[in-house]
Amino acid sequence: MGRYIGFRLLHALVILALVTVLTFVIAQLVPGDGILAAMAGSVDMNDASAVARVRQQYGLDQPILTQFGDWLARFVVGDWGTSIGAGEKVHEMFMRRLPVTLELFLGATLWSIAIGIPAGIIGALKRNSAIDVTLTTGTMIGVSIPSFWEAIMLIYLLAVLFPIVPPSGYVPFSEDPIQNLKSMLLPTFVLGTHSAGLLARYVRSSLLEVLGHDYIRTARAKGFSERAVVARHALKPAMIPVVTVIGLAWAQMLGGAFIVEVIFAIPGLGRMSVDAIFQKDFPVMQATLIAVSINVLVVNLLVDILYGYLDPRVRVQR
Amino acid sequence: MSDDPDRRAFILGFVATALGMAMRPEGALAAGGAIRDQPWAVWDKNDKPVRGGIFRIAAPLYIGKMNPNHWPVNDWVTMGYFHERLMFNDGQYKATVPWLAEQVTFEDPQTVLMRLREGVTFHDGSKFDAASLKYQIDWIRDPKNKAWSVGLLAPLASLEIVDERTLRWKFNAPWAAFHGVMTNVPGYALSAAALQADSEKYDTQPQGTGPYLLEEASPGNYIKLKRNPNWWFAKASGNPDMPYFDGVHVSVIPDPAVRLANLRAGRIDVLTLDKSQYAIVKDDPNLNIRRFPGNHVAALRFNTTKGVFQDIRLRKAVSHAIDRQALIAGTQFGLARIASCLYPDNHWCHNPDLKPVVYDPELSKKLLAEAGHAGGLTVRGYYVNTSIGQTIAEAVKNMLGKVGINWQVDLLAPAALATRMQNLDYDLAQGGSVWIFDPDPTATGQYHPGGGFNFGRSKNDAAIALIEAGRREIDPDKRQKIYWQLEKVLYDSHEDAWLWWEETVVAYRKQVQGWHHEGFLKYYDAWFWAHPLWFKDGKQ
Repeated sequence: MGRYIGFRLLHALVILALVTVLTFVIAQLVPGDGILAAMAGSVDMNDASAVARVRQQYGLDQPILTQFGDWLARFVVGDWGTSIGAGEKVHEMFMRRLPVTLELFLGATLWSIAIGIPAGIIGALKRNSAIDVTLTTGTMIGVSIPSFWEAIMLIYLLAVLFPIVPPSGYVPFSEDPIQNLKSMLLPTFVLGTHSAGLLARYVRSSLLEVLGHDYIRTARAKGFSERAVVARHALKPAMIPVVTVIGLAWAQMLGGAFIVEVIFAIPGLGRMSVDAIFQKDFPVMQATLIAVSINVLVVNLLVDILYGYLDPRVRVQR
Repeated sequence: MSDDPDRRAFILGFVATALGMAMRPEGALAAGGAIRDQPWAVWDKNDKPVRGGIFRIAAPLYIGKMNPNHWPVNDWVTMGYFHERLMFNDGQYKATVPWLAEQVTFEDPQTVLMRLREGVTFHDGSKFDAASLKYQIDWIRDPKNKAWSVGLLAPLASLEIVDERTLRWKFNAPWAAFHGVMTNVPGYALSAAALQADSEKYDTQPQGTGPYLLEEASPGNYIKLKRNPNWWFAKASGNPDMPYFDGVHVSVIPDPAVRLANLRAGRIDVLTLDKSQYAIVKDDPNLNIRRFPGNHVAALRFNTTKGVFQDIRLRKAVSHAIDRQALIAGTQFGLARIASCLYPDNHWCHNPDLKPVVYDPELSKKLLAEAGHAGGLTVRGYYVNTSIGQTIAEAVKNMLGKVGINWQVDLLAPAALATRMQNLDYDLAQGGSVWIFDPDPTATGQYHPGGGFNFGRSKNDAAIALIEAGRREIDPDKRQKIYWQLEKVLYDSHEDAWLWWEETVVAYRKQVQGWHHEGFLKYYDAWFWAHPLWFKDGKQ
């Protein structure tokens, strides 16, 4: 296992280096002058040199290779540069927003597990029954509804018409745990219901497949109760694709979180990274893309390790 | 060009235009002197302001840097709560209102004498005086401090201290826009002591003179301001209880629908509405809705130096093909005024003799035929890719299509749009101007080769000469005539197709008291900052 992890880490480093170069190239290819666009909306533009001055300040007047070299030399020593759109140090922005997005995603994962796994198990056990049809329809609706629509509907229902939770905003857990939980209730629910639907369908089909295996029939023949058969023999192997789904969802958390973070005004990484793309905020784009890559690589590694635990055959093949 | 209208509309929320009577002081600014002698410093005796409560507002973006001379600054409304300016604009966007500068007079066309208010202190306790202002101006002009605004002080030759409260500004050439510039960025008063101690720290810990001072900031999330108990204006105006709110809380809420939800849930106290939201809330019994003329102009921008629109007949054809009334009704929900030219109809430099271009599609077709395009014309361009931008672009495209002009319009993000504008990669595109205060920056930006928005797309020699003349003429009446003439030149040459002047809609919760609409329309910035609002019974 140690050799396997070591190999995977080396592999990850190579991919990371490639991603660093690729994201830089892609960022340069994205058309647009973010500085001119931003200044045009805020200040009198009778001074043509103002934009040039700001571009110089951020090093954008340098040749592209020089910009990349300067950025890389600083990045490896922990200086991620200054955001063109926010004026803050990128490292500080990132570290401040990371726990917010992590909290959002953890909450969403808990919702999706709490809804998706029971729904999938019940659907598999009560296959083709009215309950199964209801749950399947419900999960399809959950996956199909656009998250921005669901978010705004819930805001109007639970924050305006019946003011139970705040409509938007974020209070750090360390500042006020109760307000934090209240402010994260709707966002995590909206994000969670989407993956819950997908998760339920995976659990259902995976469990149905496992329940058809010979060893399950043997277990039943031995006189184990259905609950014991499912819990002890069927559930663990059925969870392998679930691990994949959750792993994929975590890997994609930034993109998925963006809409929810914008609607609910949560100062997380998703919003930060997409704003950076629209503003052509290169330092932020580069830092977040690298962070996303690390996230994907680490999560994939963890998923692979978890596979080995859930399915001994995977361990033997390694 | 114009950017995201949501963002602009919000920024404008507190700085909207005014109707009403003009303030036309004789010659250069003469309306200086004590606060209580100012026409805008009049308070309704029936008002009984009450202290208390936290005023909650929403901003689409976090402020960014809190030093107005450093980039980026994304929220100028919040900036105004802790930083004040030397001058303010009146209801006609004319810089006639002395604020931190008590009196500003031209000794000659290249020299201004400025006397500062007495008894003003910064939030850090240091004094606002001639020495602090000179330090600040020198700081801006020092390249090592990387002030983007240094170019705005280009005409300044020297600044000398005459006495503790008086400075003499000397210019390289007559600088008629000086008062206007002092209502803008270099005119924000910053604590010299704070700049001197740590100018980088100033970006996150500002020390202004304003009614509120920074209490706490959570970047990307919120800003909390607390009442300044030593606000100079409270004493100078004889209103010791000002400002009345205990603090201001600015929440960053990017989505306009969610900002409205917050207002209706009672979580914020004021909101500049998206125009599409006006119909939803106009009859809401919990809200007071205020509508103001705004000082943006929306336009279609011609590339007059390259391509087909070098021909004035084709520019006219486009302009006559646009049904501005329908465009406003359909895309602006009726909340705009048809524009005749660059300066809004309540701007002191607006030429009242100019009428909006008439909608006449038959004339458009005739002009197209005369120009040799009877069979139709294809032109390229862009518009911003917001939902409202898309709606406007589609409407204009359809109107042009009806007369035989095929407008191939790309919907672009602001950054991409800026590059196309810079490279003159268009025939007809989104245009217009925002923040139209002093006439010079707007005119220079759009129509002068040295302006930041021209990029060589417009080379009207008569307009350029008038713009340069307007910069030098310090007599306000003569200066006004120059800009009227400039508008006529731009209008006659159809330099752009001006569509509408903005209207802003602001909703206040009924708990917010103290608003007098006529006063605000008349004196604008001066009225707003001189008449702080309060909550009924001091409770939100």
